[in-house]
Formats: sequence, structure tokens, C-alpha cells
Amino acid sequence: MNRDHLSKMAKIEVVVTGTTAPAVRDLFRTIGATGFTSVSGVSGLGHHGYHQGRLLFNEQATLEMLITVVPEEKVEALLAGLKPLLQESSGVMFLSDTFVSRPEYFS
Amino acid sequence: MSMSTEAEVEQTTRGAGRGAPASRPAPTGAGSTLAERTRLRSDVALAARILAANWPIDTFIAVNPAGGLENRPFGEAVTMVEEAYGANGFPGGHVFRQAYADGRITDRDLDAAVRRRCPALPVLPAMSLGGKPVTAVDLVCSDLLHGGGRPHPQRRYRMRSEVSAPAIADLVDAQAAKWCAAYLDSAQASWMMPGRDRGFYGAWRDLASLDRSLAAPVRSRLRSLPYGPEDAAITALRQLRVPSSDVRVYLTAHLTRLPGWAAQVNWRGTTDAGLDVLSYLAMRLSYEAALLAEEGNAPPAGGMIAGAPTAAPADSSLRRADVVAAVLATERVGADELAVAAAVLDMVPVPDRELLWLDALEFGYRDRLLRALPARTNQPPSIRPAVQLVCCIDVRSEGLRRRLEEAGNYETFGFAGFFAVAIRFQELSGGATSDLCPVLLKPRNEIAETPLPGREDAARRKVAGARAIAGAQDAFHAAKDDLLSPFALAEAAGWVAGPVGAAKTLAPGPFGAVRDRLRSLLSPPAPTALSIDTGFTVDELVMFGQVALTMMGLTGTFGRLVVLSGHGSTTENNPYASALDCGACGGNRGAPNARTAAAILNRADVRDALRDSGIAIPADTVFVAAEHDTAVDRVELLDQHLVPPSHYGDVATLAADLAKAGAKLAAERCLTLPGARRRRPSAAAAHVRARSKDWAQVFPEWGLAGNAAFIVGPRTMTKGLDLQRRTFLHSYDADVDPDGSALETILTAPLVVAQWINCQYYFSTVDQGVFGSGTKTVHNVVAGVGVLSGHNGDLRLGLPWQSVSDGKRLLHEPMRLFAVVQAPQDRIDGIIQRNTVLQNLFHNDWVALAARDTARSPWNRYTADGWVRWSATEEEL
Repeated sequence: MNRDHLSKMAKIEVVVTGTTAPAVRDLFRTIGATGFTSVSGVSGLGHHGYHQGRLLFNEQATLEMLITVVPEEKVEALLAGLKPLLQESSGVMFLSDTFVSRPEYFS
Repeated sequence: MSMSTEAEVEQTTRGAGRGAPASRPAPTGAGSTLAERTRLRSDVALAARILAANWPIDTFIAVNPAGGLENRPFGEAVTMVEEAYGANGFPGGHVFRQAYADGRITDRDLDAAVRRRCPALPVLPAMSLGGKPVTAVDLVCSDLLHGGGRPHPQRRYRMRSEVSAPAIADLVDAQAAKWCAAYLDSAQASWMMPGRDRGFYGAWRDLASLDRSLAAPVRSRLRSLPYGPEDAAITALRQLRVPSSDVRVYLTAHLTRLPGWAAQVNWRGTTDAGLDVLSYLAMRLSYEAALLAEEGNAPPAGGMIAGAPTAAPADSSLRRADVVAAVLATERVGADELAVAAAVLDMVPVPDRELLWLDALEFGYRDRLLRALPARTNQPPSIRPAVQLVCCIDVRSEGLRRRLEEAGNYETFGFAGFFAVAIRFQELSGGATSDLCPVLLKPRNEIAETPLPGREDAARRKVAGARAIAGAQDAFHAAKDDLLSPFALAEAAGWVAGPVGAAKTLAPGPFGAVRDRLRSLLSPPAPTALSIDTGFTVDELVMFGQVALTMMGLTGTFGRLVVLSGHGSTTENNPYASALDCGACGGNRGAPNARTAAAILNRADVRDALRDSGIAIPADTVFVAAEHDTAVDRVELLDQHLVPPSHYGDVATLAADLAKAGAKLAAERCLTLPGARRRRPSAAAAHVRARSKDWAQVFPEWGLAGNAAFIVGPRTMTKGLDLQRRTFLHSYDADVDPDGSALETILTAPLVVAQWINCQYYFSTVDQGVFGSGTKTVHNVVAGVGVLSGHNGDLRLGLPWQSVSDGKRLLHEPMRLFAVVQAPQDRIDGIIQRNTVLQNLFHNDWVALAARDTARSPWNRYTADGWVRWSATEEEL
């Protein structure tokens, strides 16, 4: 794939419970992330077995996936906050390289 | 990847200064890095898990004060709470021993509790104690009965000032309480705190340095605080010399000084109030650092934050063995025997004794409950019920259902009182909207009350009257609160205030009736409708109908009337009024939800679609909304103008039977209401009516006191039993829910809310000083968000003393919730395995679970390792 006209960024995906998600969003804002994507009611198989997706009358108990893309120089600061949070909470985090066509949107 | 550069630090620091005035000098101490700020954010979020989320008192929501710790075993979480607050997390040995003396806890209960919690003990060989053979279980039971108490829990983590300068710690608390009340005030004060549009920290920062009650050097320090709360907190932590490894516990120490305000702030952080836990901590830490610096109390460099003061040591095992030997042995006990006994007692540390007592208290109730539940199969009624009444699962509904069923051909059901419609409701008279749904949800539909077509004039009169009354009340309160007008008000209205006050006090019932009559004349009732045509799509209406009817197991036989009854409570001069309303409706009255649900289920297009999905509602079935006033046990049938003439007779008969059932229920309740006594039903009904109008009454009703179990199954499980208004009853028919989706919804939502209520009552009972709000008689409403005891101090948490005790004895037995489910156990297993919230509750002992596959099956109890026969323990005894 030709990436000549794309800019390299870091993508962080975090899956946590609905009760921990606000703290993760706060961290995104603190490092100056210009936006994030939030997917509520995600389901899947994890370390503790299968996790149910959307529940009819409980929006807090389900898992939420939060995704943000930031310049690489902000990643360490974000990890400084995310790691202790995830040590005390159920959830996972993925950090990967990604490429965007309009870097000014993300910094 | 690299750390942030200094240039970034400068940039983000400036960015944090939203609303910072340009004319101010540059603040000092704002040199924190981005990583420090994210680390602080993380520490704040984790420290805040010790807090409950405390809703404002006008929409009181029962919560588990230790809810942030539900991922830990109950005993461990309670220990953490005790150490953080210096509070009791268990009822205390004296409460348990009194329950034993009263026969409420039996020897059999104690035995069962020890065998279940300590399975290694029963298999130990009997030992000799003073020549007498004694089993390990006997030994531990004797230790429970005769052993010493445990020391009162102490706060484990303390602020610097709490240790070195307690007066400064108190001043920090006083300032924090003052500014929180000022910022959160909802129009109770005449002058609002300026600058609130900049958020709490910004508004406080601008004003704190103008506070003349502080010394000039302190004000000077406050004037130079950073513009952002993150920088302020980091700066203060540096000045206080808190090591980075101790930051979280230091924040915990601050958060647990004023648990009420902190919990209120914790909830505000979930809204757009401009106040969150970080801002609150930034204020507290800044005060502490500035005040300590001024007093010359420079904190020591590094080192751990001060730990708990030395508590009285718990009894040693040898000492405990000595006490037990003195009770059990008939001859002199040798040193070897004592050593063996001590080794056995070592297996049950002193802190675990409270858990064992709690287990015993719970076992007795639970065992009796399961034995009482009959093995009746769920057969369709042989004759069509005249009326089916669907009540909220609230424990208070159990009495009403039981009494109505006694009156005739009635079938009753239990369902969450928001009736599956999560709505934002706008009353006809306008005003603020109400979110009428459990706080686990956000409202999904907006419903407005509108004039009935053709009756717009009546609606206009009602609204005009309501606004005139509200205007007069506002004018009266404005005149009372102003600077000079109270003198004129006293001159103009003082002559009538005395007699009115006397009438309200001496004859609350008649006075209330006259006032209601006057109100009705000024603002006459008008028939209205609800805007379900615009609030829902047709697909939503159909889905709602299918979900609601399937969840409550009402899919086969329908009566001519199906009544959906919400509930609320009418009380006077009661800041905790909303605590008596419907928790499933967000601490509001449930009538709008019942009206919405009934309107949906009466629609022809909804019924057509439901018929296609196998739920055939007969053409002559009419859904009617109602509201149960739990203070007076009166059920009002609503929207009667929507009932067709063919059903007028049914409604009249039902109204008469509801009145009789309510009066009998009132008589039943009068047996435990302080100041009431045994009365005939008609006299009891009059008594509770007067009681609800009494502005001096601190015991208007018992609310959900006594709640202990949550039963999921058909009414055949419980019909005819007097469950003493202690059980949440959720109807469920496993046969109409083969995929378990209805049961999953019941367990992940109504059960969760019931557990919050249960824990709110539990903790309010075990430590009124910290988790309860104390006596109502000295409560003052502050800022419209909560109450203080007296004129200052912390915002009170939880329920008042008069909600759990009659002054002489506890009316609420502090027990954890017991879930009882009639459904296939493999279905329950699957639901638990895919829902962490249920694993937390059941595996960590916050809620106990028993189930049977069918009415004929034996009861089993759920453990993390699988199902165990409930009666197995009994057979061992």
C-alpha cells in the first residue's frame, strides 16, 4: 500500500466497563486528543470469559470501546495515566501505528 | 515515543486556564508535565472508587456506599471502607448477640454459618477441653457468643494536617463545605456565587483569595494558584511533599474527610455541573498546602503518609481460647488443650467473626423463606381473573398485592415500576422535566402531558390555577427571605400564621383535607393525554409491549382490566420524600410511566402486532393506569376518562376493593409505626392519612426498611404467604422465556437496583454516623442538594435514623440481599457467565442466590464453584 501521502499517528483502543469509561475519556481530553470514537455495548470473549453486549435496561454494566488517534509524542503521557487505571480495572488496551490523510485533524 | 517536551507543557498549561482573566499576574507552580497530569487523573479516578455517587435529595437514589468496590469480596470491601472512613461496616457484636438473645439467630443458624464459611472445621476431630469433648464448630460458635468485641475501625490514611495540625484539617473541611454549598446552590440562597459559568475551580479560585477570614499570606498564596485544577493539585501535592507512590492514598484521605460532599461531587462529575472530584481535590489540597505553609508546619520530606493511630489490639487466639474454655469446660483445662483450641480459633480471625454472625442472621431468614415457598406449579387460572394488577417490585407492593388478592378474583404481578418506558416527562403545567427511569439508563423517549382534545379550557384553568398557587408561594418565600420584607410580612400575615400553624400541628388530617380542597378549587383537575404518538415510533411501541409482557409473564390469559400501578409517597415537610418514591423511576412518582405504558398497550396497532408475535390481548381487555400512595395505602385509578363505558362497573368494583385492601394494609402497618397502635382498618386508614399530612411527623412510613430478598418467579410461588413487606417480587415465567433474555434483563437491572437499595439500608444501619444521615430532628436542607445535621459540617449521606429505627430498636435488619429464582439453573449459569456485574455480586458475596429449576425441584444455592443443595447443610446438622 502506498503511504507516501499519509501521516503516521498512534491509535489507542481501550475496552473497559461503562463505569471506567469516563475516566478514560478524561485522559483523552487531558492529553489534548481532538476527538475519540466510543462504541457502547461491545461484546466478546476475554480473559474472564464471554462478555455480554448490549443489555436492555442497564447501560452501565456493559463494555465500552474507546478509540482515539493522537500524535506519537503524546502516547507516553497517555500511557502514564492509562496503565495504572487498567491495573485496577477490568479491560484491555491496544496501541498501534496508524496512518491518516489529514494530520491536522488529530493534533 | 518520547515524553512531552517543555514546550508542550507550556502550551497545555495555558490551555487549561479556561476563562482566566488577562489582567491577573501569571500563577506560580504550574510546571507540571502532561504525564504528571494524566497520572494524577488516573489516581483521582481510582481514589474516587471509595465514594458513592450521591444524588441530590429531591431525586434521592439509593446506592451502595461501597459500590466502587463490588469487584472485591464483600468482607474485603467492607474492611477497606472501614479503614478509609474509620467507620463500622458490620452491625457490631452487640446487635448480633441481642438477635441471638431474642431468638432471631438460633444455634442452628450459627452452626450452618460456621459450616458454610469454614468448611474445614466440621472435618476436624473433636478435641478435649477440660475433660469435655468439644467439636471445632462448637468451639467457634462459643467464641462468637462469648468472645470479646473488636476495636472500632480507625482511619488508616490521614492528611498531613490531620496529624500535625488538626485545626487546619478542620478549616480545610469547613472551607470545602462552604464553597461546595455556594457553588451547588439551586436557588435556595438569595445571592448566587459569581463566576459559576467558569466551573467550580475557576469560580472558587477567583473568590478564595478575597476571603477575609483567612490570613493575608494565605490569601496571597491562593491568589497565585495555577489556573487549572490539575496543576493546582500537582503543585499542592509537591508542597505537601506527598511521594508519588502515596498520592492515591493521600487523595483517599482527603475524599473521606467529608464523605457526603465528596460523594455529591462524585455524582456531579457525571453531569455538566462544572464540578468534579479533581476540582474538589484541587481546592482542598491547595487550602491545606497554603495553610500549613503559613503555620510553619512544613511537612516532612518523603516518607509514608501517616497511618492509623494505634488501635486496641484484637484478642489473641490464646486469650479467646481461655474465654471459651471458661464457658465450655467443666474441669481444669490443660495448656495443651488450650493450645489446640487456640489453633482452631486461629482459623477464624477476629475480623471474620462479624462475617460469621452476619451469615448466621441471614441464614435463619433465608432458610425460613425457602421452606415457606410452596412447590406449586404455575397453572393458568381456572377462571379468567376479573382484574390483573401489575405493581412495582418494591417491597411495599407485596402487602397491597396480598390484601387485594384476599378481596376477590384478582391476579397480581410484579414488574419494575417504570414499566419498561424510560421517559423524560413534561407535566401539563410546565416546569422542569423529570427523567423517569432507573439511573442505569438514560431516558429514551420524551413524553409530554397534553390537554385532552375538546377539553382544552379545563386544562387552561388547571394550568392557570397551578401557576397562581406557585406564584403566591414564590412571593411568600421571597418576602420571608428578603432583608426587610419579613417585618412587613409578619405585620400583614402574622395574625393568621399562628392559628394556621396550630391547626397544622393539632389537626393535620382535617387541615390537609381543607388545603387540598382549596387547591383543587383553584386548580381544578383536568383530563389529559400523553404524547406517545410523537414520543415513540410504532416499532418502539411494539417492542415495549412485547418486552414488558414477556418479562412479567403476562402473555396468556388477560382479565377485562389490567391495571398498571406505579407508586409514590405523599408526606409533609420531609426532605427525604423522594427516598419514599419509586427508585425505578429515578426517585420520582411512577404515575406518568404507568399512564404511558397503559396508553401504549391500549393501542389497536400495538395489539395487532403483538398478536402476530403470539401475545393475543382480547378486545375487551382494557389497560388502566394507577398509582399506589404508599404513605396512605390508597390506590388512585388514573385516566378514568379513557375507560370505555362497558368497563365502568369493573372499575367501580375494583376501586371499592382497593379501598378495602388499602385499609387492611394500613391496619397492618400501624402495628409497627411509632405512635400508631392496633386499629380497625377504617380507623387505620384515617390515621395514616392524617400522618401523611403531619408536618411534624418523622415516621410517615417505613419505606423499604426490612428489605431482604428478591424473588423472581410466578406468583404461585408466593401467593397466600405473608412476606411482611420484606421481599421484592418480580414476576417471571420461565416457560415463556426459552432464550433467557427476559431473565437476563431482570437480573442485570431490577436486581441490581434492588441490591443498591439493600446496601443503602445496610450501611445506613450499621454506621449512622458515616453512612446514614442521623436524626431528622436537626436536619437543615442546604443548597437544595442535601441536608446538614445542624448548621454546618458535612452533607449527610444515606438514610436518616428514623428510616431504619423506631428509636428503641432497629426496624431494618442489616442483611445482604437474597435472590431467589425459579428458572432452569443452566440458564442462570449462562447469564452469570456473560455478565461481569452478576459475577461481582454473586461471586463476591454481595448477593446470595438460590434457585430451583421448576416448582417441584429442590432449592440449590449458587457458589462460584457450582450449585450446592440448599438443604445439604441441614442434613449435616
